[in-house]
Amino acid sequence: MNLLAVSINHRTAPVELREALYLGNEDIKNLIGSAKEKLLSEGFVLCTCNRTEVYGFPIDKNTSYFDMQNFVIDKKSSFNINPEHFQSFLSREAVKHLFSVITGIDSLLVGDNQIFKQVKDSFLLSDEMSFAGFLMKRIFDFALIAGKRALTETEISEGAVTVSYSAVQLIEKIFSSLNKKSALVIGAGESGELAAKHLQDRGIGALAITNRTIEKAEKLAQSLNSKIIPFTNFKEHLHEFDIVISATSSHDLILTKADIKSAMKKRSNASLVLMDIAVPRDIDPDSKNLDYVFYHDIDSLNIIVEQNLAKRKAEIPKVEKIIEEEVDNLFNWYNSLQAAPTIKNLRDHFENIRLEEVEKNKNKFSTDDQEKLEIVTKRIINKILHQPTIELRKSAESGENTTESAVRIGILRDLFGIDNHGKNEEKK
Amino acid sequence: MINFIDFLNWVLPVFYIVTFAIYSYDFMTGKKELANSKRLFLFITLLFHAVYLIVRTIYFGHPPITNVFEIFTVLAFAVSFSYFILELVTDIRGTGPFIIIISILFQIISSIEIEHIVAVKQVLKSNLLGVHVFSALVGYSGITISAVYGFLYLMLYKEIKLNQFGLIFDRLPNLEILERLSFSSAVIGFVLLTCAIVIGLIWLPRAFPNFSYADPKLIGTSIVWILYGIGITSKLLGKWRGKKVVIFSIIGFVIAILSTMLSNFLSLSFHSFY
Repeated sequence: MNLLAVSINHRTAPVELREALYLGNEDIKNLIGSAKEKLLSEGFVLCTCNRTEVYGFPIDKNTSYFDMQNFVIDKKSSFNINPEHFQSFLSREAVKHLFSVITGIDSLLVGDNQIFKQVKDSFLLSDEMSFAGFLMKRIFDFALIAGKRALTETEISEGAVTVSYSAVQLIEKIFSSLNKKSALVIGAGESGELAAKHLQDRGIGALAITNRTIEKAEKLAQSLNSKIIPFTNFKEHLHEFDIVISATSSHDLILTKADIKSAMKKRSNASLVLMDIAVPRDIDPDSKNLDYVFYHDIDSLNIIVEQNLAKRKAEIPKVEKIIEEEVDNLFNWYNSLQAAPTIKNLRDHFENIRLEEVEKNKNKFSTDDQEKLEIVTKRIINKILHQPTIELRKSAESGENTTESAVRIGILRDLFGIDNHGKNEEKK
Repeated sequence: MINFIDFLNWVLPVFYIVTFAIYSYDFMTGKKELANSKRLFLFITLLFHAVYLIVRTIYFGHPPITNVFEIFTVLAFAVSFSYFILELVTDIRGTGPFIIIISILFQIISSIEIEHIVAVKQVLKSNLLGVHVFSALVGYSGITISAVYGFLYLMLYKEIKLNQFGLIFDRLPNLEILERLSFSSAVIGFVLLTCAIVIGLIWLPRAFPNFSYADPKLIGTSIVWILYGIGITSKLLGKWRGKKVVIFSIIGFVIAILSTMLSNFLSLSFHSFY
């Protein structure tokens, strides 16, 4: 399989370069247009914040992945990209790389939940541009199977691996259903916004935002359809919330132990979760000594993140096994595809020889015998080719040994010069 | 038939231990492939246990509730059966090992000590005794399960408070669910214990001439009943919650066990049949 792939990713290039190479949908469409014109008969382009990759079958058999690298470099010539920034793959390795990407084991954050959808969307764009042809579509079908199997058969994407998501995971170990709970997010910065979004995604019953700058709180509250509580008096409302996530840039404590104690009294000691994801911390860490107060700061949340990442990494061998199986399945299919034309080519090759020899020698036979000559020579050819044909079909259909099947087809083509024969015919 | 009864008597602890091992393996590894088979194995164990109890009842001519070791095997069955129903209803499958181990303990003691008693006192053949003992046993199963879930609640509570995110954190359901399971089991236990006490108070004075309100088992059960009553009422009134309620449940369970042991092994009251 003459599939080529080049990739610039978090392993090969610094973030500045990856940012510079980021392609929007329009950029991808332009790139596909040029690739179809002069480089690739079919393929697909993948672009996420951590990788830009081009896969394809070259128009010219002599095209190598260096040509593909140069193609990408030419497109972004204003940036200092060189071949060292690329990972390049050929045939089985290219397929394996694609499967590693879609299953998330090649991601910066192992088991990244987003990558499956990103690869799928990228492929749909290539398909829309008629860039993904027959072979590419089939490869992608197997990639989807590998991705889905990794998700369902392993724990590669299990557990939270970001601080804000681990906060939500921890909250879910305390409360059974978030739709009956209310949460207050203190701080409308990036971390606060992310935590608020996670809570909303998990179906939090009521969400309120408070921030020193009211405009920022209003903006976030509007996008999340949540309540705003003025920063000046939010402590008076503290007891109304089951979950408080604090993520401000304040240098001093915003909530003291006395504030929490007072809120707990008003709540009749109903459980209160305090997630302090600010650095420096916003909530007095001593609050954790109060009964039914679950106080966690960024360090304790990082413990969860580290544990989950370690668990995901331990799942990589299982995912690699799935990838190997699906790559084998793909190549079994591909080889079966190869067997049919080989059988036809082999038969054509022998038929040509037969016709040539019959043509050369038919005058040595009487008119009646010429007809018999036709029948006898055809029968001989059929008998000679019967066993090889059966064997080719069998090995292709059983799909037991991809390599053996590929080797058999290769030897057969070499021995009888089937590929050369085609070329010789063209020369003639 | 006696050989079959003996065979089941010795095979049952093995069944419980194997079921416990499967549940524990599943708990430790977190592999989902055993999720259904472990439930099936528990079902088979309970089926064998039910057959054992029925065959015993038929052969000896009375239900196996006439002495403490017969009661232990019924208790082992009741605890695991209650858990089985709870698992089916809630689909919370991670807490099995902590419950099944209780059944193992009861069943092993029963299997070692149980005797073939054919002749029992006439008083023990009363139907009211059956209802009294049955409700007391299911009531005790309820408070046993409540205590186990209470204990699990405390373990998870401690892990979360101390930032120790280990196996308990990974595998157990959340605190609210554990609290709910503990409380619901306690309520069921309390209701059935109330039935057992009411029936006992009606029937015991009539059945036993030497009946005394100072009977240790009666006093013990009454203390347990009062404790659970206080805990449940406080929880329902919203005065107590979480840790406080489950600690109360655990204390109630410990007193219940101590009371049963003391009254059966140490005292010789009308309430001791062994």
